[in-house]
Parts: sequence; structure tokens; C-alpha cells
Amino acid sequence: MEYILKNGIVYDPANNIAGEKKDVMFKDGKIVEQVSSDAKVLDVTDKIVMPAGVDPHAHIAGPKLVVGRIYRPEDSRKGVTSKKGVCRSESGFSIPSCPATGYRYSRMGYGTVTEAAVPPLEAKHTHEEIMAIPNVDVTPLPLFGNNWFVLQWAKEGKIDEIAAFVASWLRIVKGYGIKIVNPCGTEAWGWGGNVHGIDDPVPYFDVTAREVVRALAQANEKLGLPHSIHVHPNDLGHPGNYPTTVNTLDCVKDIAKNGSKRNQTIHLTHAQFHSYAGTSWRDVESGAKEVADYINNNKHVTCDIGQVTLDETTTMTADGPMEFDLHELNGLKWANKDIELETGSGIVPFIYSGKAPVPSFQWGVGLELFLRIKDPWQVCLTTDHPNAGPFIRYPRIISWLMSNERRQEMMDNGEVRVWSYKRTGLGTLDREYDFNEIATITRASAAKIYGYQDRGELTPGYNADIAVYDINPNDIDPSKEPAAIEHAFGNAMYTIKDGQILVKDGEVVKVVPSHTIWTDVKGFEEQEKTVMEEVMPTFRRFYTVKFENYQVQDHFTPNPIVTEVQAGK
Amino acid sequence: MKTITLTLKKKSPIALEFDELIPDKVFDWEKVDFEKYQVPVGNRRFPLTDYFDIEVEGDAAGPEEVKMILDGDFGRVKYIGCKMGAGEIIVNGDADLHCGAEMEGGKITVNGNAESYAGREMKGGELEIMGNTREFCGCSYIGDWRGMSGGKITLHGSAGKQLGECLSGGEIYVKGDCDILAGIHMNKGFIQIDGDVTRWPGGQMKNGNILVKGKLGILLEGFVYDSVVADPVIDGKSFSGKYIKYNGDIAVNGKGNLYLNAEKNREFL
Repeated sequence: MEYILKNGIVYDPANNIAGEKKDVMFKDGKIVEQVSSDAKVLDVTDKIVMPAGVDPHAHIAGPKLVVGRIYRPEDSRKGVTSKKGVCRSESGFSIPSCPATGYRYSRMGYGTVTEAAVPPLEAKHTHEEIMAIPNVDVTPLPLFGNNWFVLQWAKEGKIDEIAAFVASWLRIVKGYGIKIVNPCGTEAWGWGGNVHGIDDPVPYFDVTAREVVRALAQANEKLGLPHSIHVHPNDLGHPGNYPTTVNTLDCVKDIAKNGSKRNQTIHLTHAQFHSYAGTSWRDVESGAKEVADYINNNKHVTCDIGQVTLDETTTMTADGPMEFDLHELNGLKWANKDIELETGSGIVPFIYSGKAPVPSFQWGVGLELFLRIKDPWQVCLTTDHPNAGPFIRYPRIISWLMSNERRQEMMDNGEVRVWSYKRTGLGTLDREYDFNEIATITRASAAKIYGYQDRGELTPGYNADIAVYDINPNDIDPSKEPAAIEHAFGNAMYTIKDGQILVKDGEVVKVVPSHTIWTDVKGFEEQEKTVMEEVMPTFRRFYTVKFENYQVQDHFTPNPIVTEVQAGK
Repeated sequence: MKTITLTLKKKSPIALEFDELIPDKVFDWEKVDFEKYQVPVGNRRFPLTDYFDIEVEGDAAGPEEVKMILDGDFGRVKYIGCKMGAGEIIVNGDADLHCGAEMEGGKITVNGNAESYAGREMKGGELEIMGNTREFCGCSYIGDWRGMSGGKITLHGSAGKQLGECLSGGEIYVKGDCDILAGIHMNKGFIQIDGDVTRWPGGQMKNGNILVKGKLGILLEGFVYDSVVADPVIDGKSFSGKYIKYNGDIAVNGKGNLYLNAEKNREFL
């Protein structure tokens, strides 16, 4: 089937197209340069046309989500809709049901989402949930930062072993790249503690976060994975944590990049939670300037923000000790889980109220980072869904980024407390994003950071993943009309995925199964075999499952998109 | 004033849901509107006239001028008066789950028994139950830590387990007996129980007041003896006689007060 999207105003940052009036053509699911005269015309005159959105960091599938849904029925009752058209009923606000997750991303014009924390032991479950999420392709990132094998080899400096282990494990659990969460800290939580800073050794293994992050970064570049290491550093959410963040970013500076598309060797996730100065919550101040300055001066770093959206949400992370701290802080119910030899996790509900000083401060820090990081190719829009807020707030964040007036209004009329500007630099920043920068931070930069060679651009040969938004960029003043911006980005006029129209005028009109994107490393088979021989005795001794039941078999990924990588190339 | 009378003619084995039939939504409905209305039953809807005879008299300019009389056994009708803001509902019979849940104003009288979750998350108004109720009267939604925050529940019969769970305001008055864990997790508000209590009132309470006029079975270990007070005044209400006052629950560093009738609970002294 051939289509032509006629007369749209196209923003395609990867191809340096910023607001040009042109036609976009696609055929059989791919973007093409030419279509025949039989092509079906979709008139999008003067509407914004962008590649479909790419979310680089969210938590949408896996055991954490299920525990969250089970222990927060009060969240599930929000956002309940009944079955309508092609859609099943929806439920949930911060932890929506699986179908609702797919529909809601689709309505915002998104086509690809990363599930950013997959415990390998629970990978099967994660893939089962991905199967239940329609309309968006999902990229799972398995956790390696507290894995016993990795900790041991990092201590011994055995990079080859780690590389072979990662190559094997990505195939075993069908994962895309390396996620590191509070390296050594979650393992220390198994001993009832945490680590502080990147040079604090974990009990027993006696290895530091610096050694683990460096080892995994070296292994990542040795294999030449499409994505860099994806790091949630130590000390999340602690006042005075920005030096830990900067030191973590700096510790991999000397490692040479080995990936064709991306520029970075480290991706810092939810930077907002890692950019605080001060010593306690009494004297906390923003460290956004220091973190942003480091990112501005160092091209080996990219980040996403984790913007606080001022909602009641559910925090869930593999950073077990941090969740316990949070539970002590707000007194709300807490769930905790240990994942054997691999990682842990915690869940706590949280109310980011603009009437309270700390959430207001966090809101300010997130926006300050967005405005201070100069190169939009180094930053992505996220809320670390659902940790800082649900992903359905992306359009609202876009409206804040595009309107200094709106931000000032929120600070002036008390929607956020004084800490939003007295403890941050937000009040002094009047930068406003334009549509091209928005297109970059919501799709193009994320696609580049992940090394995707089939999405995030409107290049001929790429997937026909396209979003059309019902606004005329030449007509609207985003600075003055934030509500219109939020509405348009939240209700796509068209969301097209692999050439199929999934959303029309903000309504889901078609439901398709999602794809799972994972990385298959070739050319490392010998080393992998040796490493597996070393791993198996420990595996058999300590894991509660048999290896045969641990592996993710092919039927867990019925629609795979396999990225083949030649190790070292 | 508008009087809407629904008289039961057929009891459904599957519960009907009445959260759409509150004065706030039906004050301008005529008889014909009710006859057109399809009521949720399980996962489907059926005509209201299948189950009730409907009479509508008078006119109302707003919900506060509406009186709904529900005649018959409403023991399979859930969500009566759920989220209502004004007006009056009288149930001449039993009521099913969630009667008066999330109500913000107005008055509901149940001239019979009410099932569990009566007055759940109530914010205002008045709920009077002439018979008994079961578990979780005046509680929070499952999983939530924010319960009833305003209004008054008067129960002429007995209450079940976990009465006023997570109570954060308002008043619950039980004239009969009460089962375990009244006022669990409460942090504000007042629970008065005239009858006997099986055990553990105020488990994990942070603040607020509980008064028991009858006999208590077992007191929780988290309550610390304070004093014997004569004629205490709580929330502006005075109570004659001697009461043993406890503070708790110290397990959660609570500052709540529990008053037990000294006469009937001598063994605790």
C-alpha cells in the first residue's frame, strides 16, 4: 500500500529538515522517495509532521509493574475507560494496564519505547508483558550493574570475560544493551546498606562503582553494541549528589567509542534526580549548572531528564536502598524485592505536589537541565515513567519547554513553591525550545543514542513511523498558547507505525502487536563458550532456577527485531 | 421539592449499580427519563423499569430539593448515593456494598442493614444506618491510605471489622457493638462506640479519638495508660462517667487517644 502525506510541515532533525513544507511518502511500511500515482493521499496541509516518538527510558513492562499494580489498586481505578472501538478497556494512571500503555503512547505519536530495567531472572515475565502491550516497539535493557559475575570480573579487571558474558546474556534474555542501576549499591542493599559515591566498595566483592562502570563501558565498546552503557548513578535523589554524577560521567571519558551511529560512551538517565547540591533537604540547591556544564563540554555524554510532572505517582526502580530511604521519608507503603544474583528493586507511591517545597525544587531542576544543556542531541525528554510522573505528561512538558511565560506564570501564581526558583537557576533562564528542538529531544536524539538504523528519521528505507500533529507551526505562538501545544502533542492527528495508520484524530483506530528489539552479538562465540563454562557451576549452585528455565525462548519474542552486531567492528 | 420513589418489583441476583442515580444527576429527570434509563447490572445494562416501579412528584431546581425513596429490599443494589453532593436518599430496606461511598453532602438513611464499605471515603454529609453494617464502614479505597475525611456516619446497629480504617476526619457513631480493629491507621476524627468491642481498637492509629462505652475484649499492647478521666469532652461532645484514657499506638509513634468506660473495663485498671 502506498501513501503520501501531503503538504505537511516536516521536522526531521536527522536530515536537517526544520519546518519545511514537503510531502512524505511511504510504501509497504517503509519511507520512500517516490510513489506511483495510485498512492493514497493523506492531506496534512500545514500540520506538523515528525518521525514517530522514541522514548529512551521508561518502566512499562516487567515484575515491578505487576507488583505496583497489585499493591496500588487505588492507582488502577484512575483512568478507567470502557471498551471502545478497537481498544480494550483501560485502567491506571501512573501504572496503566498493558493495553493502556500501548494506546496512550500511540495517541501521543510515539512508536518506540525502552523498558529500562529488566532483571535477567525476570526477563521472561518482561517479554510476556511486552507481548501484551500493543502499538509500540519495546527495547528491553537488562541490568548488569550489580550482577555477581560482573562484580567479580570487574574486581579482577577481566574485561573480555565481561564482554563475553554480556554478549551471551543479551542473547539469553533477549536484551538490547547494558543498564546499570546504582552500581554496587543494590548489591550492598543485600547487606542492609548502600554505597555512597563511586569509590565506596560494596561488601564481600570489595569492588567500587567506578570499577564496575568502567569495566562495563569497556566491554560495551569492545563488543561495539548499538547503545552505550545506560547509567543510573549512585546516590539518586540525595542532596549533594552532583559530584557523584559528574565523576561517574568522567570516569569513562578515556574509553574510545566503538559504535557506528551514536556519539556517546555513556548515557546518564533521569539526570534530574542526580543534579542536587547542598548537604541535606534543608539546604538543598540545584547542581544542574554543574551537570549541564559537564555535558556541554563533553560529547561522550548524553542524558535524559526524568522531569517531575507534579502528579501523584508510583516510584519503582532497581535501586532498592533508595526506595527504602524514600519510604522512610514519606511514610507510604513500600515493596521490596531481591533478585538473587542480579539486582533488587523497590516500589513506593509518591506525591509530587507543587504545594510542597521539595517537588517544586525537583521540577525546577529538571527544567533547568533542559534549558542549560545546549545541544538537543545530548538530551532526551523523559519522566523516567512512572518515577517522576507518568509518560502521558510528555505533551505538558513540551508546553513548559516552549513557553517561558508559562513557566514564569507557574512560579508566580503558586502552582509551584518558591524553591522552584530560589533553590534553582530556573528563574534566570528564558530559553524556549522551538519545534525542531522538540523533535530532536523526543525522537531524533533518542534514536541516535540507541543507534537505531531503522527509525527516528524520515530517511528513505527507514520504517514508516510517522507522527502528525494538528497544529500549524507558522500560525501558533507556543509561548502564548501552552494549552494548545499540550493538546496537540497529546492527541496525534495521525500516528503511523510501519506504514499503518494506528491513530487518527487522537483516537486509536488500529491495534497491532509490538516488536521486541534486541541485540545479537556475532563473532564472540569462542569467548562466550569459555565464559559459560566458568559461569555454570556458580549458576547451578546459587540460582533457584535451572538454566533451562532461565533462558528466554524464541516464543517469548514472537515479533523480534534483531540488531546483529559484529563484535569489535 | 421533588420526590422520586422507586419500588422494587423484581430482585436481581446480580447486583445493580446506582452511582448514576444520585440527586446531583437526576434532579431534572422526569418519569419518562427514568423509564428510558438503563441501569448497569454486572457487565451489561437493563431498563430500570425491569426492576422498579417509578413515581416522580414535584419539581426541583437543584439536587438539594430532591428526595429519593427506595422502597423494598435493595440488598442487591450497590453504590446507593455514591458521590452524591446534596439531597436526600431514604432506603426502606437493606443496601448493598458501597452505600454512601465518596459522598460529599446530603443525607442517606438506610432503614435496614448495609453491606460492607458503607460510607467509604466519605467527605461530607450524613449517613444513617438503622440496622447493622459489615466490614470497612467509613474506610479508604482498597490500597489507599486516605480514608473518610468528613461528614458523619450514625450506625444504630453493630459494625463489622476495620470500622473507620484510615479515618482522617469526620465522625462515626456506633450505637451497637463493634468487631476488631476499629480506627485502624486513623490519623484524625472521632469514633464513638456505645456497645462492646471484641478487640484491638485503634491498631496503628496515629492520631484522633476513639471512645468505647461498652466492654472491651482485648486491648492492643501499643496503648499506654494515661489516666482515668471523669466526664471527658471530646470533639465538643461531653460524656458523663469515668473513662480510662490510653495513648497510642506507640508502634507507629501514634498520638491518638482511646477512652474505655472505666465501670465496664475494671480489669484493665
